[in-house]
Amino acid sequence: MGLYPWLLRYLREYKLKQSYFDQQKYVIIDLELTGLIPGEHEIVSAAWLNMRASKIDLCTAGYMLNKEVQDLSQSTIYHGIDDDALLEGSSLRGLIASLATAINGHVLVCHNAVLDWGFIQRVASVYQYRITPKAIIDTMKIEKRRLLAQGRPLTQDSLTLSACRARYGLPEYKQHDALCDALATAELLLAQYSAISMGRREKLSIII
Amino acid sequence: MAAQVQDVVEFSHKQMPFSHLPHGATSYFARHLQVVYLTRENQMQWLQTGGVNLYLVRSGVFDLVSIHGDTIARLTEGDYFGFPSLLTGDKIQSHLQVVTAGLLYVLDQQSFDYLRREYRGFEQHFVRAHANRLLSSQYKTRDQSWSERKISELMSSNIITASAQVSITEAAMKMRHYGVSSLVITDENTLLGIVTDRDLRNRVLASDIAPSTSIQSVMTKNPKSIFENNRAFSALHLMLKHNIHHLPVLDEAYKPLGVITSTDLLRQQKSDPVQLIGKIYKASSVAEVKRYSSDIPELLKQFSNNIEDISVIGKLLSGLTDALTARLVHLYQLEYGQAPCAFSWICFGSQAREEQTLHSDQDNGILLDANITAKQRVYFAHLGATVCEQLVECGIKRCPGNIMASNEACRGTVTQWQSRFVTWIKEPTPKAMLNCKIYFDLRLIDGSKSLYQDLCAALDMIRRDELFFAAMATDINTNSVPIGLFHQFKLEKGNTQHKHLDLKRRGIVIINDLVRLYALNVGIYKANTLERLDALLKFDVLSSNDVYDLKDCWRYLTQLRLKTQIKREGLPSNCIDPKTLTSLEKHQLKEAFHLVRHAQQASAFKFARASL
Repeated sequence: MGLYPWLLRYLREYKLKQSYFDQQKYVIIDLELTGLIPGEHEIVSAAWLNMRASKIDLCTAGYMLNKEVQDLSQSTIYHGIDDDALLEGSSLRGLIASLATAINGHVLVCHNAVLDWGFIQRVASVYQYRITPKAIIDTMKIEKRRLLAQGRPLTQDSLTLSACRARYGLPEYKQHDALCDALATAELLLAQYSAISMGRREKLSIII
Repeated sequence: MAAQVQDVVEFSHKQMPFSHLPHGATSYFARHLQVVYLTRENQMQWLQTGGVNLYLVRSGVFDLVSIHGDTIARLTEGDYFGFPSLLTGDKIQSHLQVVTAGLLYVLDQQSFDYLRREYRGFEQHFVRAHANRLLSSQYKTRDQSWSERKISELMSSNIITASAQVSITEAAMKMRHYGVSSLVITDENTLLGIVTDRDLRNRVLASDIAPSTSIQSVMTKNPKSIFENNRAFSALHLMLKHNIHHLPVLDEAYKPLGVITSTDLLRQQKSDPVQLIGKIYKASSVAEVKRYSSDIPELLKQFSNNIEDISVIGKLLSGLTDALTARLVHLYQLEYGQAPCAFSWICFGSQAREEQTLHSDQDNGILLDANITAKQRVYFAHLGATVCEQLVECGIKRCPGNIMASNEACRGTVTQWQSRFVTWIKEPTPKAMLNCKIYFDLRLIDGSKSLYQDLCAALDMIRRDELFFAAMATDINTNSVPIGLFHQFKLEKGNTQHKHLDLKRRGIVIINDLVRLYALNVGIYKANTLERLDALLKFDVLSSNDVYDLKDCWRYLTQLRLKTQIKREGLPSNCIDPKTLTSLEKHQLKEAFHLVRHAQQASAFKFARASL
């Protein structure tokens, strides 16, 4: 009995990995947080974008502020959010509902997915939402693998979003709000995929 | 409504025409565009499918190339592309070539039309940009393609005429005197006929007509003619239709003005490498030679798209280098006086084999008269230094091993050269073997042919040295083809990111070495590998099957290498990443390597039995 769902999941995962990179629908998400620990710290804002057939659709861009945020640490003020702006935000329940709609049925892409996915799961469980991405792709993990494979030294900040982008000659973004970072992550994924696949049409398995 | 990405808005608002439009336009643009990452490999998929779009370059460098292969513009951050098709509804005429991969913002037709409707400034900007681009110089030169030029601009200006009464001999003498291939026969200002070289052959010599006969009996009466204001295209049409090569040109009063020949028309097709070689041979100054040489890379690129057998390119490039060298040597003598004694300018290595690539460097030397004085040597030292330096300026790199006429060791009499060869042969150190591989491919470029033949004759003595051949065969066998025990590719890892196969070192070079070995052994003094193989058919050192196999292998590897050199960057030159090959290509490549290995082993067996 217990084997059956496991087998099913295994098969589903296998099938997904065997599908082509450009066949999948992706949602790229970036969260702004007050800290690094789910349950202790909060989501300040969330942004998402869809990508299909290797095209990032800006008309699918979404951005939401959590107006229930308790503790605005300095990092968020730095990102240009003040109390006035927060008043126009949505409830955390509304935010996680929107994220659930955005993520379900898509492959989730984040830079440092452990962090963002940790927060999303935590909040989803509080409000009893079921969020099931088809797979999770972490551009930071891809980059780390690539650097290690090339035998290049890993330092503290060689895996930041902007350091990774610089390696592919992608432009530097001045803004660092969640939506800009989501777009930056999506572009990074395209550049990484193109470098890894060397221009050939490849399966999802080469980056997962 | 979609949220807008602040950075995209800021970037777009800095670009024309958005910088002059209300914020609403930028905001609409930023919310409706798609972002794609364009690389050399995926460019086709973006620009072929998906209909017409407006493209804005966010990062990277791209060349906009017309259907004729000319670069119209280099696009960088903030440049647009694709709007002509959006405006006119025509298909995209030009395509992009990625110089540096980067991000493009793509706006579809629907959103473009919305912005055109809503913002007049937007509409005006792109209509104007389209008009400007049509007027830009690149378009202009192409639009006025040679076939649309007037006859009067193309024809040979001074007309050579004769009256109908002159004898055939007189007519022929006149043609010789003016160096023309046709003579227009007139009566005052009326065209009567035309006589060409071919007529003199077919209607006079072959028909056994007495040369004293008057010309009118053999001329073409009332020939096809053309008016000075017609277009070149009409002339070409007439020539092709009637299979003729000369057309008298008339003015509106039917007065003959000149002749246009098929050669005049051919000369108009500029991107012809043979033309360039011709131009180099006629260049009257070093500056002119350099100017022509700067056309070579671009010409090669265009040319390589138009030919089937890509290995012609090696010959072509060597031909260009030969022309450059010969011309520079000639110009030097014009400036510093004729050479004080006989000499030959010779080349070695890939230039001698006529297998040059864009990356090949100089390998040359000077062969001097046996009775040369020390004073005369100074002249040649300066000649060598000057020409080698000028070749560098023409884009042919210095030889890292200093095999150049500027090096004193590479200037010598037949005896001096011979003794150099003998030292290498007698003491087959790895360094000497390497020298043999380069110097034993040699070819005369300019100067005395008899000196060069003396050197070849002197080299014939090596044929008697079995030890030398054994050493060469052993040396060739130390280099192995990149195929593993289990029929897999053995990749090399350089200091770049990707693993690769070295087609040159591990394939082509081995074949070249083997063929040289056999050629020297039977005394074939050709340098080109394919020509050597053809010549080897007459001897029984290799079976004809082996010869054909080696030829096919060599062609295949060379073709593959040149293709990669032209199309790809990022890999070391001459190398290939097998991942980029189709499975058929992989199979062929493995077969080729197997054949090379087989030939290698056979050579060891033949020449080096004792030492292996």
